[in-house]
Amino acid sequence: MVLEKVAEIIVKTFHCNAEDIKAETKLESLGIDSLGAITLIFELEEAFDIEIPNEAIPSIKTVNDIIEKLEGTGH
Amino acid sequence: MNRNVLITGLGAISAPGLNIPTFWDALKAGHTAIKPLKLAVDDVKISVAARLPDYDPENYFSPDELTLLDQYSQLAVIAATEAINDAGLINNEKILTNTATIVGSGCCAKHTDEDTSVKLYKQHRSRLHPLTIPKGMPSAAANMVSMHLGIKGPAFVISSACASGSHAIIQGMSMIQSGVVDVALVGASDAPFTYGLLKSWDSLRVVSNDTCRPFCKDRSGLVLGEGAGMLVLESEDHATKRGARIYAELAGSGMTSDATHITRPDITGISNAMNRALNHANLNSDDVDYINAHGTGTVLNDITETTAIHQVFGNYAKSLVVSSTKSIHGHALGASSALEIIATTLAIYHSIIPPTTNFTLADEQCDLDYVPNKARDQEITVAMSNSFAFGGLNAVIVLKKYT
Repeated sequence: MVLEKVAEIIVKTFHCNAEDIKAETKLESLGIDSLGAITLIFELEEAFDIEIPNEAIPSIKTVNDIIEKLEGTGH
Repeated sequence: MNRNVLITGLGAISAPGLNIPTFWDALKAGHTAIKPLKLAVDDVKISVAARLPDYDPENYFSPDELTLLDQYSQLAVIAATEAINDAGLINNEKILTNTATIVGSGCCAKHTDEDTSVKLYKQHRSRLHPLTIPKGMPSAAANMVSMHLGIKGPAFVISSACASGSHAIIQGMSMIQSGVVDVALVGASDAPFTYGLLKSWDSLRVVSNDTCRPFCKDRSGLVLGEGAGMLVLESEDHATKRGARIYAELAGSGMTSDATHITRPDITGISNAMNRALNHANLNSDDVDYINAHGTGTVLNDITETTAIHQVFGNYAKSLVVSSTKSIHGHALGASSALEIIATTLAIYHSIIPPTTNFTLADEQCDLDYVPNKARDQEITVAMSNSFAFGGLNAVIVLKKYT
């Protein structure tokens, strides 16, 4: 469920192909650079109404890292 | 080192039209772009304005690009692209690598600033988009122009209210004269139709609810406009070597600061700017054929400017031709000065002087030849463009026919 929603936001924000987005996919391989990652986190915070702290950002490398952060907030 | 500076490319998006041909057609025809102002709010007193006709940013930019483009940056990129195209330099990596980008603006990214305030103070949103800073920083237009066109020389934004375009052009001219660059993309952009700015202009009580009638007895103030004007400047050697089309020569510039009053223009400050520009161009006052006036249509400006012209030009003032194209494109603030240099350039190039339109009856204290309502066919050897900004920041540019 969460993966689907995250993938939907990634597709909408970065116009990637949905089939390229798996849990283990690295953000970098989707062409998402560090500014892109910050933008993605903003979109996720808006969509899930959560706060992802700055300290968590360096450890976000893959789609799964994002899902873990979201699950950590109860999603 | 002193090198001649030529104008080899023009671009404009303004109320008369979204490109140079429509801009020049309106100037030649003396068609004012001032119309009733339609707004979604009902507490703004300003009721007429010179807005862009049918401007849709999505005709120019993708939704992704627009997340980074304040309206003032959009207009700068559109005019800059037309100017670089006009100069035949699109994708010319070799030349663009050493080209300067200098954009003037009176208001910079006010749309983004106000959107941010609405989100925080009105909608109580808890977070802002990560691109709010790069989109809203005052230098954004220079970034966006250089990134969109691949221009890699010195780039920055200059702000001096209604003289921003002239100051940007003079800066580019100086960089070419001193050998810093061979080519400079210069001009200005302003998008002042925000709720906050309209309410602020309301409070200043200088905006007309009739129309812009510079130098007329029944003038009642300025009329706000919007847009961008960009020019490609080039050293004479560089332009002639590559066979560029040459519109005119930038012959000299004069800048002063009144250091007196924050809104009232000062005769001495603006006379000194005109004199300095003539000296810088090594020309006498009686060499000038045409002045594109600051001519805002406010009570104070038009009398002060006329008096200063008398002071600088003496008896010759009566032989000069003077017009204010703000009556056609409105007062697009910083962008206005760039649009007026473009109007002056085209007037020289085509030997047609655009009129002061909406002209009724001249004020007794405004006794020059203002080219009322109808353009005039006349060869222009030397022209002057005046810009006098709030705070007394004056910039005057002298242009010459290139022969």
